[in-house]
Amino acid sequence: MKDLYIPRTSDSPEIDFKFSLNQLNISGEAFPEDANKFFYPVLVGLEDYLNSIDNQDVEFNFHLTYFNSASTKMLFSIFMLLNDSACSSNRIALNWHYDEEDDTIKEFGEDVNEDFPAIDYNPVVTYPA
Amino acid sequence: MEIDLFSSFQDDAGKKGIVFYYSGALSQNVIATMSDVLKQRLDNNDAKGSVTKKLFSSFIEMIQNALHYSPLVPDSSFEKIGAVAVGKTDEHFYIICGNLVDKKYVSRISEKIEHVNSMTRDEVRLAYRTQLKNEEHSQDEVSKGAGLGLLTLARDSSSAIEYSFKDVPGYENEYSELHLKTLF
Repeated sequence: MKDLYIPRTSDSPEIDFKFSLNQLNISGEAFPEDANKFFYPVLVGLEDYLNSIDNQDVEFNFHLTYFNSASTKMLFSIFMLLNDSACSSNRIALNWHYDEEDDTIKEFGEDVNEDFPAIDYNPVVTYPA
Repeated sequence: MEIDLFSSFQDDAGKKGIVFYYSGALSQNVIATMSDVLKQRLDNNDAKGSVTKKLFSSFIEMIQNALHYSPLVPDSSFEKIGAVAVGKTDEHFYIICGNLVDKKYVSRISEKIEHVNSMTRDEVRLAYRTQLKNEEHSQDEVSKGAGLGLLTLARDSSSAIEYSFKDVPGYENEYSELHLKTLF
């Protein structure tokens, strides 16, 4: 299926879902005017892709440095889809990148790990340059 | 303002520790631009990384709340307005945000803030996680953020959320102006 690419803007993240390589990347900041509208095609594309694969190793690289509360809800839906897929035949690795000074994203990652146990959660701490 | 008054206006803002101030029309473009400027201003003020992140998060929640939920300005029928100040005292950074609210929501907003202020940090975190999983309120037009916005402010702030309501001259029965303040 076709890869999904959405370039970064001043208030929305880069979505780089390389479905052909089983490699999904999200990076940047997420506080779009309408989070539901922004994330809708992302969720639809992800769901179609996950439904189309079987017995695959999927890597999800989470590299957001900020997301507002409305986007957090949408991210939660993404993790739900990944967890459901990991409960069937696929293996999902979630590489959770966060800045060492960012307790919010670190703790959110820990919550995601607890709430979605089928996903293989790997925290990756980054240090400011 | 008289040209002579400009320096006293600047001095006054400086003495009050104002780092950033905006008052006027709100749109997503204005918010994206403000967020860029605010980040630079905080960098220049040597704010710690952890403080900058919490402050930025609350800034966006407050100002997007004003954009999404405040009523249109009376007699203009198209515009949303709001005001926001970020400042610094000896010990803290703070944000104050002001926007119009419908008079009928005043008691409901007060109750929500009082409720969040009565929670401990752990209770706030737990409530946040519960709200995130709770899809029932997602169709609620009055607060479609399902209370996550307010919980985010409580999570990020180092003390209780302060608030007050001011009358809007000429519209005492229809609107109030809500002022919110959080510290970091």
